[in-house]
Amino acid sequence: MNQILIIAWRELTRLRKRFGSGASPLAVILLLAAVGLSAFAVRNTISLGSGLYQIGVTEDVPPIRDSRFTVIAVEAGQGRTMLDRRVIDVLIDGTQVFSRNDDKSQYATHALKQYLEEAELGRIRNTYPEAQAFPLRVGINYLSASQAAGQNEAGDPAPVTRPEETIIPSLSTPPVPFAQVLVAMIYILPITFISIFFTSSFMDEKINRRLTVLLSAPVTPFQIILGKMLPYAIFALSAIVLIAVLTKGNVLLTIAIFVPTILFIFAIYLMVPLFYRTFKDTTFIAMLVTTLTTAYLVAPAMFTDVNDISYISPLTLAVKMYRNEPFGWREYLFPSLPMAAIFGFAMFAGTRLLNEEFLMGYKPLTRKLTDAVYLLLAHAKPYLSVPLWSVLVIPVVYMAQIIFLAFASNLPLGMILMVTLMASAAMEEMMKSIGIVVLTEHGVVRSYRELLGLSFLSALGFFVGEKLLVLLSINMVTQASISSVLFGQGLFLFAPLIAHSIFTALVTLLRTKAKLPYPAALLAGTLVHFLYNWYLLGGLR
Amino acid sequence: MIPFLAVVKRELGSVLRDRTILIAILLQLFIASFSSGLLLGMLSLYDADMILRESGSWIKIGVVAAGDDPLEAILAERGVTVVPFGTLAQAESAFYEGEISAIVDSPRPAKNNGAGDANGITEIKLYLPESNTVSSLVRMVLQEPLEQYENYLRSQKGVAIHYTDLQGEPSTSFEFVYSVLLPILMFFPAFVGGSLSIDSLTEEFENNTVQTLLSAPLTVNGMVGAKIVSVLILSILQSGAWLVLLTLNGIAIQNTGWIFLLALIVSGITSTSAALAAILLRDRERSQFIYALMLLAAAAISSLLNLSPIVTLSRLAVGDPFLSGWNVLSFAVVLTGLYLLLWKASRRIMV
Repeated sequence: MNQILIIAWRELTRLRKRFGSGASPLAVILLLAAVGLSAFAVRNTISLGSGLYQIGVTEDVPPIRDSRFTVIAVEAGQGRTMLDRRVIDVLIDGTQVFSRNDDKSQYATHALKQYLEEAELGRIRNTYPEAQAFPLRVGINYLSASQAAGQNEAGDPAPVTRPEETIIPSLSTPPVPFAQVLVAMIYILPITFISIFFTSSFMDEKINRRLTVLLSAPVTPFQIILGKMLPYAIFALSAIVLIAVLTKGNVLLTIAIFVPTILFIFAIYLMVPLFYRTFKDTTFIAMLVTTLTTAYLVAPAMFTDVNDISYISPLTLAVKMYRNEPFGWREYLFPSLPMAAIFGFAMFAGTRLLNEEFLMGYKPLTRKLTDAVYLLLAHAKPYLSVPLWSVLVIPVVYMAQIIFLAFASNLPLGMILMVTLMASAAMEEMMKSIGIVVLTEHGVVRSYRELLGLSFLSALGFFVGEKLLVLLSINMVTQASISSVLFGQGLFLFAPLIAHSIFTALVTLLRTKAKLPYPAALLAGTLVHFLYNWYLLGGLR
Repeated sequence: MIPFLAVVKRELGSVLRDRTILIAILLQLFIASFSSGLLLGMLSLYDADMILRESGSWIKIGVVAAGDDPLEAILAERGVTVVPFGTLAQAESAFYEGEISAIVDSPRPAKNNGAGDANGITEIKLYLPESNTVSSLVRMVLQEPLEQYENYLRSQKGVAIHYTDLQGEPSTSFEFVYSVLLPILMFFPAFVGGSLSIDSLTEEFENNTVQTLLSAPLTVNGMVGAKIVSVLILSILQSGAWLVLLTLNGIAIQNTGWIFLLALIVSGITSTSAALAAILLRDRERSQFIYALMLLAAAAISSLLNLSPIVTLSRLAVGDPFLSGWNVLSFAVVLTGLYLLLWKASRRIMV
């Protein structure tokens, strides 16, 4: 513990030296300016785009304040000519709106419709008394679907599960949680910035060769990582608390929601300094990491309350917090546990990889990755570490599959499924076989029997982990009845397991015994795996 | 001139050898496809037209008979499947048997709560299933008919509301393509380019290789210029590729030449200011940080001043007749100013 604190203190001193002179006032001013101005800009530009549509208006039309429209004052007749000549997209003449039949004009009309509805509401609110301007109330009640016994004799209100919610249709807020997601994103920004500093601290030490000195001191790599992480974790935590106070959120709840997120982002950024070789690498890898984590965190939160899948992101919890909606333990643990698990895995990988030989060598990235796999696996018995590896990489495989699907969506419709299946099969086979191949290359595994045994264990690990994940996630979000349907067949079926271990064995044997290059061996395994999946889906019949 | 080209060649070679530039290109493809996927997902869950088209047939709404009230007709006209019922109790039993997904109870005057007059406000009761997914779909579908009904009630009370007959085509995808997707694809290489020019300069400083480099027959400005040029080559290759790909995908882009020039100038601005930061601060950690902040601040300021390159780009692309390509040249002025600053500042490298 003491060692950790010493390293943390050392890290603070280093930061103070670096930012102590020259840069800091400039940085503070720029930071304040950037944050303030972007807040201002965001407030002003909620709508998409600026000046996309050209609108002609006659002089008796109320002013149009929306950045999407370029407004041109015209006379009625002149306006019609301009509309026909495609100089403007829509003409508003008094209370009448004219448009053309082409796409651009129709889009403009729709955008204008959205805007004018709002504007008209404002106008009648100011002109008429409330009961005349808003003459409709809708009381919303929720009926519990399972309560079939709820039919009552008298015409009493049905059994409701929540207190009635009364809305005025034209004033009810749209359910898209844009505003809340935007607020939740404000938390992510400082965490990302701070973790970039955490990354560059490691890089700095690597360049100065001070990390070498540190590694030869009587401290463990675990203590070094934790000590260097501590100050940044405290910075991130204070930023979270500050934002929670400023946005009037519940501070304790915010901390509970975002601590796993902080750990997750730090875990990912811990990997960057371990793998980079040049500065440009760092830029690219950091960019990749930032984009993927932002996509992973933000996209699901957009579907808060619309789809239960949204709970894979902790931002959903923050959105619910800002909407004053409650959530339970299961909803909390569903996004938080995987993030904590990834942090644990990253810490383990960090302690294994933090050694001079691994850090300093300039090798192709693929070489570096396989070295990392070897270092992770080599410290335990292969019969334990190989299946364990297969279980632990499952989240990575799933994330990759989602990414493949996103890429494949650019292709023609008929090819999307095929390409995604192919890429997923390749990813899965790679993850299952890479450990065994690397161990063979280092001479840990030699005989056919060992190779076949390990292939089976690797497939088994992946298989069990996959089913476990599906079971858990279904149990967490939806009724358990679905899971029994899913697992009534399949979970204990032996055939798929055998098939999967054959694919893995094929790749490993082709690589290690037939001495094919790894990509070729992988391709062969992938093809067989793909054909098997395609057959199961009925593609060959 | 030959050493200049040699530096450019060396820079490009090192980027290609590291292969990590692939990450940047894949990343742009990912951002593009992921954000369009996200948009499609949001439309299919939040856009009433889309919901009706895809799942309109199984969303059946029970309506408790409303006499001569137009509510039922408004609902049916919107494309909602309406099932009429005589009483609420009948509708409820149909709901529990799973025949309908929600119930709209007939409009009636709002109850007088004892405190004052209800002013003739009409009240509708809506019964939704507990499941979030279904109830939010139903609410999304009912939103517009309810607003139309509200307008009908307004007209009954003599409130004139204009512009209620507008239709048009849903414009979200159009706005997304021209104001989000196209700017991202055109300017992302520029942002990357800034970071790259910091990397390649600070790497020389921090590894103390800059003196060696300068012992070649090359001026300081030549060295910095070569690094910027190599970054520019990378980013225009990417922007050009995206322009071609988007056009092949059937997205009409006007003023392609000016857009290409704009992308080039913005790349120039980011990489020049990034190089400026690198020369003044001399280490990667601080330069990248300041560069990121400068980007944020510049984006905010330019959108405030209505001179944002993003807005200029989307207006050029849709073919705004009120925007000539000469607006692009105002950014060239900014670039020239920044380059002169860099010219002055790069002398400090020698010290």
